Amino acid sequence: MDTPATIPIPRYHRWLPFWAVLQTDLRQTLRSWVWRTWVLAVVSSSIGFLLYRFGVYREAKILQGASVLVGDLMRWTVLGSVTLVVLLTVGAIASERGTLADAVLSRGISRYQYFLAKLHARLATVLVTFVVLSALVLTSSHFLLHEDLSMLGCLVAVTAMAVILTLVVSCGVTIGALSGSTAVGVGVLWLSLYASGFVLSFLPARYPTPDRVLAMLPQILRGEFDWLALKQMMQVGLVSSAVMALVGMIGFSRSDV
Amino acid sequence: MAENVGDLVVETTRLTKIYQNRQIALNDVSLRIERGWVLGLLGPNGAGKTTFLRLCLGLHRPTAGFVKVFGKKMTPNAAVLRRRIGYIPTNPQFPKGMTPISYLDYMARLFGLPRDVRKPRLASLIRAVDLLAGSGNTIAGFSNGMTARLAVAASLINEPDLLIWDEPTLGLDIEARRSMLDLIKTLAREKTLILSSHNLSDIDEVCNHAAVLSQGKLIFSGSLQDLKGRIRKNHYELDLDGDQKAIAKAVSTLKGHNEVKAAQLRQRRLDLRLNEEAPNTAVLGHVFHVLNENKVTLISIRSVGQQTEQAFLDLVEKEESKGFTRLYQPAEAA
Repeated sequence: MDTPATIPIPRYHRWLPFWAVLQTDLRQTLRSWVWRTWVLAVVSSSIGFLLYRFGVYREAKILQGASVLVGDLMRWTVLGSVTLVVLLTVGAIASERGTLADAVLSRGISRYQYFLAKLHARLATVLVTFVVLSALVLTSSHFLLHEDLSMLGCLVAVTAMAVILTLVVSCGVTIGALSGSTAVGVGVLWLSLYASGFVLSFLPARYPTPDRVLAMLPQILRGEFDWLALKQMMQVGLVSSAVMALVGMIGFSRSDV
Repeated sequence: MAENVGDLVVETTRLTKIYQNRQIALNDVSLRIERGWVLGLLGPNGAGKTTFLRLCLGLHRPTAGFVKVFGKKMTPNAAVLRRRIGYIPTNPQFPKGMTPISYLDYMARLFGLPRDVRKPRLASLIRAVDLLAGSGNTIAGFSNGMTARLAVAASLINEPDLLIWDEPTLGLDIEARRSMLDLIKTLAREKTLILSSHNLSDIDEVCNHAAVLSQGKLIFSGSLQDLKGRIRKNHYELDLDGDQKAIAKAVSTLKGHNEVKAAQLRQRRLDLRLNEEAPNTAVLGHVFHVLNENKVTLISIRSVGQQTEQAFLDLVEKEESKGFTRLYQPAEAA
């Protein structure tokens, strides 16, 4: 044989596989029972809580500070959401183990692209859902409760919560990519979150750990916060999130599927 | 052999895969597949065929050795190489909620094909694999045959240079199997194919080269003719007609011939085994002469056993019979 096997490679878009996985995952996630349950639970509990407090004010004339109520609501929303966010993120890759190799990874997509597409899809879903729901709660509280919220405080509070959720999402997708099944992944992530929370509780009080930030939400919403400490927490959260994603991406690209 | 590196489509060097230090799936496999080959990958269950194919696709990482595809090392991130490969897994599974159109569009986007290329191509493929009528239905309701046709379309959407099909005829009815084999023959004119199959008659029909794996070890690689050349030769079956006594007399005469190892008559069918080294044309000439002398009519004559199957069984049997001597004997693989 004299002619070489090299045949001109057809035109292709380098990042199209990334967008294909991202779009498909977004569509799948929005149709999933986990996401729908999350939204339904947050919306119904928020409506119930706000109406109850509004009723208390109307009937008993007990004045409720919006910052306290919204802070409580956001804290319990985040803590309650984490259960479903863990499921949503660990399952991103782990739940597709059966068909992942044959249907997707045997095609023209790299492991890096696949992992990044999944991570970004779940990040977008979780963060957009959280921000939209928080915005609705804050807007409702403006009309229903005694207003003592500061615009900047609200922005900072939502951003800080979003950073915590970003870290949870990165950990979830990474653990899902490295574990054999969703159930194992969920177990590992829950243990890791509890263990991290326990270890962080030993830090001196000046460090704004996630649980301390959650406890400080009413003050933050009123605009009474230590910006430098919060900024530090957010920076550490984002860097940790990026490191987790990097670990997941490298680990996933080195594993058999 | 390939004269230059450009002719090699797949090259594995000392490829070894051990799963979690528990299972040796592939053991020191060095194989070269050239452009234009239709390679049949043979081996009993658990021989390592699927592992080999998955390593070629970068789905698994080798424990030792490496795979080169189109001259470049295959890795899990080698998307550029996979863009030139079309793959059909064993028992392909598809997202049940998708239609053939949405699935093929997704596959084409995974290959990075722009809209103006992928849309016309997927339409042509759906028509070609005869899924036009079911193109609006979800895949969940598809039969085995329809699923297989969709898998073929998905593997061709990127117009690949190399096709890796893992047991493509598994579970197909006779008609679908025939269509699949005809398609393979057509594709073989311009593409390189690696076919894994348990069905040796399929391999015999469409492949020009074969590789045999046994317990993770490559025990043969070469042309199909070479493989067939290794079979136990000189075993024939003759269907005869004529007087029963005359047939018995002829058989008795044949038994006395030096080069006839065994001649057994069952009704009017003669099972004839010649000595391995005997020149078969000369001995068969003598057989015909004896039959003629006894006025026995020959209705048909055939070489016993499906040739590729026999060769394959011989190879596996020979490999297993080596026992510990395998430690010191180089593999016969080319």
